[in-house]
Amino acid sequence: MAQKNSNIVEYGEPVGMLAAQSLGEPGTQMILRAFHFAGIESTIATSGLPRIVELVDARKKPETPITFVYLTGEYKRNVGKAEQALKRVSEVRMGSVVRRVLENFSKGIIKLVLDTQVLKANELTPGQLAQKVAKKLEARTKVDKDGNILVKLKTKKLTEVRSISVKLMKDVVQGVEGAGKAVLQKDAKTDEFYIIAAGSNIGGIMEIEGVDKSRIYTNDVFAMHRQFGIEAARNTLVKELDTTLREQKINVDKRHLMLIADAMTYSGTIKGVGRHGLSGQKQSVFAKAAYEETVKHLVNAAAFSEIDNMRGVTENILVGKQIPLGTGSVRLAIKKEDMQKVKPKK
Amino acid sequence: MSDKDDNDIVPQHALMQAKDAKEVLSEMHLRPENLPKIFSTDPQAAKLGAKPGDIIKIKRHDYGNTYDIYRLVTEE
Repeated sequence: MAQKNSNIVEYGEPVGMLAAQSLGEPGTQMILRAFHFAGIESTIATSGLPRIVELVDARKKPETPITFVYLTGEYKRNVGKAEQALKRVSEVRMGSVVRRVLENFSKGIIKLVLDTQVLKANELTPGQLAQKVAKKLEARTKVDKDGNILVKLKTKKLTEVRSISVKLMKDVVQGVEGAGKAVLQKDAKTDEFYIIAAGSNIGGIMEIEGVDKSRIYTNDVFAMHRQFGIEAARNTLVKELDTTLREQKINVDKRHLMLIADAMTYSGTIKGVGRHGLSGQKQSVFAKAAYEETVKHLVNAAAFSEIDNMRGVTENILVGKQIPLGTGSVRLAIKKEDMQKVKPKK
Repeated sequence: MSDKDDNDIVPQHALMQAKDAKEVLSEMHLRPENLPKIFSTDPQAAKLGAKPGDIIKIKRHDYGNTYDIYRLVTEE
């Protein structure tokens, strides 16, 4: 216990600066883009410095969103059941099952030549697809003897027919929209099946039967924020920073990462570290003026009669005062009741 | 949403009574606006029915440590 207490950070310690340096220095040693084939998830995912930058800058969409979908009950033990769940999650677009699109503009007919192999792999039939298309476009559809789909449109205008057929290719025919392509994996330790999806629509995936809602996890911090709130986003940030650094065998104490994540989620949303995020919110006029656009900040401050409390580091160095850290953070104060004991001299 | 929808990554949130909140704040020499924020539209805050001005207590499990942090509910 004494050992633990002696290691607690003292008041006035510049913890933020220490955290920044602790993450910044190993960052210079990181490999830009590493190639490794330790597991399927790490080969697709962005790693190394680009990933750290992505997290710290709070980019709205990660370069490679990945969702880990764990399953419940018999779905996680039984291969057949697990594959069923996979099929319901994995996103299949019309474009990937159609080999060729033939448009007959004079008759207003679109002919979809299907790729039978892809169709078979996804266990879809031309009939099912034709029904989906009919429902979506409110048009009459027919399956011809070669297994192709004929769509009779109401319009014959060239531009409209083309725009419908382009849109049709982007339609999701199976799975969750935004879930991306998914694969089935087996956990070597617990011997259970889980799904890795290349998307981050966790809200949609959670509605699928057999998905364990309590264990679903994505590396998309903003998706976690939307679904589970700010505390989950904070934990995701810590976890992602930690795993990214660990992958590269870089040891940064987790408490530094926790502090960074806490600062980024302080305002209730995720803010990046940088000019538009945390650093841009400095209170002091001098600190802002010392960084960029000096004249603009000073003129604005003068025009709106802003007040500088001189609490930060930059502004105190600027005027040559002691910075309010460590020893400098101690200030003299007097209690109200003691003030009355002091008699003013005449 | 029911309780079983809770994800493992979400720590336990609890709405604080005004009296308890005041006690905690005076102990830490803080004003409510010094606390980290949570939006009233946040999924966890909405689940508790928190209104702007309330304080939510969060039980965090970090690094083998369990500790409480507090967030002030604000409007988005």
